[in-house]
Amino acid sequence: MKVIKHADASAQGAGYSESIRLREDDGALKKRMQNRPTGFGNPWLQLALSVACVLVSEFLLKRGATEVADTGSAWSWTGLNGLASPLVWWAILLIIASFVSWLYVLRYIPITIAFPLSRVVDILVPLGCWIFLGELISPLRWCGIALVVIGLALVAKPIAQFEERL
Amino acid sequence: MSFLAFFLIVVSLLSFVAAQLILKRAMEATTTTGFRNPQFVSKVTGGILLMTISFFLTLGLLQRFDLSYLYPFQGLSVIFITLMAAVVLKEKLNMRLAVGALLISAGIVLVSMS
Repeated sequence: MKVIKHADASAQGAGYSESIRLREDDGALKKRMQNRPTGFGNPWLQLALSVACVLVSEFLLKRGATEVADTGSAWSWTGLNGLASPLVWWAILLIIASFVSWLYVLRYIPITIAFPLSRVVDILVPLGCWIFLGELISPLRWCGIALVVIGLALVAKPIAQFEERL
Repeated sequence: MSFLAFFLIVVSLLSFVAAQLILKRAMEATTTTGFRNPQFVSKVTGGILLMTISFFLTLGLLQRFDLSYLYPFQGLSVIFITLMAAVVLKEKLNMRLAVGALLISAGIVLVSMS
């Protein structure tokens, strides 16, 4: 993995007094955002990739697990027989990929922003089931999806404005 | 539900939250010192270890309880991580982020309950 080094005020903040540190937080974040790589190394793109990998892996796991399901066997409860399906192995690869890009995201984006945004997958999975698998979504579930969307908008909006200013 | 089950749910949730915070710390350190230093390696190892503990605890719980019962607890991780990041990592937390995290958590609970 390529090592990108740049000046980073926040990482040296350990010795700073609390008040100075709080005031400098904004500046440090701004600096890190300005120094962030573009193109494929863009942390927002990596966050989207990480979510996409998790999403696809969930569907692959569901497909793969049902494909080789053998509930009669004594070992079936461990889920280990799922390894017989190639789809499950693809899912495992995707999960590893999502973990690597998630680590990359953590390098640049505060976790108070990155983690709530990454939970978009919790509504994409039921929506995917609705669209691709024809599963039904109850009214209560629609309410939950709406709440998550509003919450995501709240978390993401300052970022969108921030990116515009750069 | 037994006390033990509740205890295991809490431990699994807390180890997941702790893992994320430690991984964040590890990755932040790389911006100044790079990847080849013992601190980074030990933190990433610790983070992955905690995630593994959380994973197997969840797996064990899944064998005894419904997913729809266990999943709402995972939704709570959004609130926990947001709060702990503000306290432990001193990340800035404003009203907007807090309310956003609260709504996302509530939404996940609703989605998984229905």
